[in-house]
Amino acid sequence: MTTAVAWCVVVIIVVSIYITWTAGRLDRMHARVDAAWAALDAQLVRRSAAARALSVPSVTRAADAALDAGPVERQDRENDLSRELRAAWPAVEAGPTRDELEAAASRVALARSFHNGAVTNARALRRNRLARLLHLAGRREMPEFFDVDEADFSDEEPGALT
Amino acid sequence: MRVGLVCPYSWDVPGGVQAHVHDLAEALIALGHSVSVLAPVDEPDSADLPSYVVPAGRTVPVPYNGSVARLCFGPLSLARTRRWLRKGHFDVLHLHEPTVPSLSMLACFAAKGAMVATFHTATARSRALQVFGTTLQPGLEKITGRIAVSPAARRVVVEHLGHDAVLIPNGVDVARFAVDRPPHDRPTVVFLGRVDEPRKGLQVLLDALPALRAQVPDVELVVAGPGEVEAPPEVRVLGLVDEKDKPSVYAGGDVYCAPNTHGESFGIVLIEAMAAGTPVVASDLEAFRRVLDDGEAGVLFPVGDPEALAGTLAALLNDPERRRLLAARGSRVVQAYDWRHVAREIVEVYETVRAAAPVELEDPYEPDLDEVDTAVDDPSRVPETLRRWLAVVRDAVELR
Repeated sequence: MTTAVAWCVVVIIVVSIYITWTAGRLDRMHARVDAAWAALDAQLVRRSAAARALSVPSVTRAADAALDAGPVERQDRENDLSRELRAAWPAVEAGPTRDELEAAASRVALARSFHNGAVTNARALRRNRLARLLHLAGRREMPEFFDVDEADFSDEEPGALT
Repeated sequence: MRVGLVCPYSWDVPGGVQAHVHDLAEALIALGHSVSVLAPVDEPDSADLPSYVVPAGRTVPVPYNGSVARLCFGPLSLARTRRWLRKGHFDVLHLHEPTVPSLSMLACFAAKGAMVATFHTATARSRALQVFGTTLQPGLEKITGRIAVSPAARRVVVEHLGHDAVLIPNGVDVARFAVDRPPHDRPTVVFLGRVDEPRKGLQVLLDALPALRAQVPDVELVVAGPGEVEAPPEVRVLGLVDEKDKPSVYAGGDVYCAPNTHGESFGIVLIEAMAAGTPVVASDLEAFRRVLDDGEAGVLFPVGDPEALAGTLAALLNDPERRRLLAARGSRVVQAYDWRHVAREIVEVYETVRAAAPVELEDPYEPDLDEVDTAVDDPSRVPETLRRWLAVVRDAVELR
């Protein structure tokens, strides 16, 4: 009888440690997604600012729309900006504005890759049966990927466009 | 920036990953960063050990992925890893091959903060991942940024870890290959690589030789690289060349030929040849086409076609003006693969990762292990240390 009780206590302790650990892990994963999103957001804003400095009307409009966009339409507005930038790119002259835009675009690509990596991990853990059953994620929304077509100019030959 | 690099394989044994970590460390130091490398070292007293390498212990030979890997793990290595992490106060921790059961994996589990991992291997089957895949996940999910050194390595990361990785190729020390070009009187074609490995394509080149000789009678073929080969007597076979002699071998040719038939993921030989100022003729493989800028910086010929190769080589050997032009374009192309440039791209990853990693708060109740170290080194300080810890505990209780 006492052995059975002892075993039950041991099992309960082990299970609760595992649950606490998983909940903590899930919390850390969400913190990672938040931090990665903050970094991506900063780079997208930087790109919009660099795009406005081009003083091309269609690009400026797209950049303003991207800056003003709410969370829902943000992805589409950023993609619009990428499209406008790619269209305007051949006419952009070499100089600090072009360099800044190139630098911003490559940072957006990195930040997006890292953000989506964190989202992949968080979503995998949220699909865990235990996490779903015990509602370990609380009221946190399911993290979403950010698929921006980041208009990476690095593949294009630098001399050919100017 | 304070950067901690972790190398999983023994520092004394030559290998691709070790060379990468060494070159990256030197390039980062040249850019003004402060670098410490944690690596297994079998001969810690060796005079060749750079000052930035911190030995983590000796290695154990383990049969792994079909060959013998010298790995480093165990409680002592873990303790040394923790100590290195604690003393380093790194802004970024850069792990190499964290899925290999060695130091990088230990560091991945022990560390907090901004972490970057570079994946080198292009072999799709990883024992550790197959057996421990889900067990490793809690450690691997602390990694914020992933780098792959080749498209093949990137594919492995995508398929096995379900993640994307940033593609940053291995660097080449371009300056080392820019040697004086030794004068020679005959038109010379150079081949460098394992001569007995069919996919390196030496046979295609040997098959092209008779037709080439018909168009350029005094042509000389120089073959360098390890392995046994049956070559016609007029071919100069150098055998295995020392790493430090490679630049002059490349520079000794009027044309460098890479007749590989398949299985090249990157084409570092082409970059080395171009860095030495030798124009390149290479088979039309995807990796080579990318390095040669779609044939702008070198001449491509149909894969495994000796006749086309002979024609291409003859045309180039008879056209010094074209060779000069290709050499000039080649030396521009290689700048993108120079370690200085590659290290800057990696620093860009570090900066983005630092911004994207959550801020880790210090745990106020975690004992200061630096003090334990000092106390162990100098026992007379033990009572003082204990008194200070008691004071910390008392403060904590009073605050409650």
